Amino acid sequence: MRRIHIHHLLFAFLVSAILLIPATAQKLNDHSTAAANNRASGPLKLTLPNKEGSVRFAVIGDTGSGTNKQRDVGDMMIKYHSLFPFEFVLMMGDNMYGGEAPQDFEKKFAEPYRALLNNKVKFYATLGNHDQALQVNYTNFNMDGKEYYRFKKDNVAFYSLNSNYMEKKQVKWLEDELARETAEWKVCFFHHPPYSSAKKHGSDGQLREVLEPIFLKYGVKLVLTGHDHVYERIKPQKGVYYFVSGAGGKLRTGDIDGNTGLSEKSYDRDLHFMLFEAAGDEMYFQAISRTGETIDSGVINRK
Amino acid sequence: MKRKRYIFLSVLLCAPIWGSVIALAQSTQNAALAPPVVVSPADKAAIETFDKQVKDYIELRNKAKETAPKLSKESTPEQIQAYKTALTLSLRNARANAKRGEFFRPETADFIRRTLKIEFQGKDRQELRDQIFETETQGVVLRVNHPYAQSAELSEMPATLLTKLPKLPKDLRYRFVGKNMLLVDRESDLILDYMPEALP
Repeated sequence: MRRIHIHHLLFAFLVSAILLIPATAQKLNDHSTAAANNRASGPLKLTLPNKEGSVRFAVIGDTGSGTNKQRDVGDMMIKYHSLFPFEFVLMMGDNMYGGEAPQDFEKKFAEPYRALLNNKVKFYATLGNHDQALQVNYTNFNMDGKEYYRFKKDNVAFYSLNSNYMEKKQVKWLEDELARETAEWKVCFFHHPPYSSAKKHGSDGQLREVLEPIFLKYGVKLVLTGHDHVYERIKPQKGVYYFVSGAGGKLRTGDIDGNTGLSEKSYDRDLHFMLFEAAGDEMYFQAISRTGETIDSGVINRK
Repeated sequence: MKRKRYIFLSVLLCAPIWGSVIALAQSTQNAALAPPVVVSPADKAAIETFDKQVKDYIELRNKAKETAPKLSKESTPEQIQAYKTALTLSLRNARANAKRGEFFRPETADFIRRTLKIEFQGKDRQELRDQIFETETQGVVLRVNHPYAQSAELSEMPATLLTKLPKLPKDLRYRFVGKNMLLVDRESDLILDYMPEALP
């Protein structure tokens, strides 16, 4: 009888340990980030090398809430702009929630980023599932009147896709453009994430089914998305680096599922934005919270 | 007896690990492609009729567009609003007597329903269904010639499905609202037609 009790205890202990270790690790990670956040009123810290002649840009996603917190992110971006003068900002979609009257454009876009716009920082948008089609004509979104488009900065080519409606024509356009692409870095950005650990939406398998083979065939190294209101750096998938940056104006606290096995780094405690710097074969990145704390940083090598 | 107990314990201990591994594999693998739809001569005729309806609409739309102020790729929000308001009004007037079923006629609807059934069958397509049903479409009134509610989300149209449905010109879109499938005008967001309970 006594031996059976010992086995029961041993069994219960081992099972608990197996089940709780990943969850505990995630909790510890969250708490350390939260603690870091509470300290976040100190001097700004740039982890990017800020090399001369590099391509510098920022990334924001799911921004258009028009809230004070969205404005906080805009304010923090202009502070970092003084340290790291990024030339343009990529928008991951859901640029405007709710109405899209002229006053909405003002409240949900122009006003939060006024200082950046005044500093001649250009914004390049993509459409999210809350965005109306006519946004492509808005001058400050620089979409060239198109739902999917390409632009190039030095050795980096950017492809904005409309993941709401990935019809054959768009897929063919992407393949044709990538096939003749001469830029060393190929970056795709769109709203729905092919990989995500968020509980609300998560990985978009059918989109991945269509796009991933193209990314692999034509050497797309970096894919930027939003939709899930969190930050997540996905473990490289078949050599491609995927980021979810969908908390520029809306947040889903505690939405990260720590058990997907996809996540290299995640953050769901506050809004954030990202900075990128392409310098030769290196692409440096830094994710920054609304209050200015660095939540992730690193470098991607193209080769 | 003792050996059996150890085997039992080992199986129990391994179960969560294998469960996690299987779940992870399922979450990262690509969903299998649904089988192609068989298009019969009757289906071809139905699609041709649908294409003709679409073509007629685009002609009408082009005329309506002429009455709206021009829109450039560098427009202000005020210009965008003026364009949308004028286009919407003009299209609604031009199709004041539009009724449900003008695009999705019974034969076309039958082909589309079969296509949807094939695309959404199987456990691996559950994710697609979830994606559509999680779209927040409160406020959308299913009524022909009425606008899609501005506050509502747009459902993502599965890329694999779009390759199987009748092709549309750039100014028309398929869209889901729950189980219902809509045909909408891309810029004005007017509902041109809809199929109730289209999704199986």
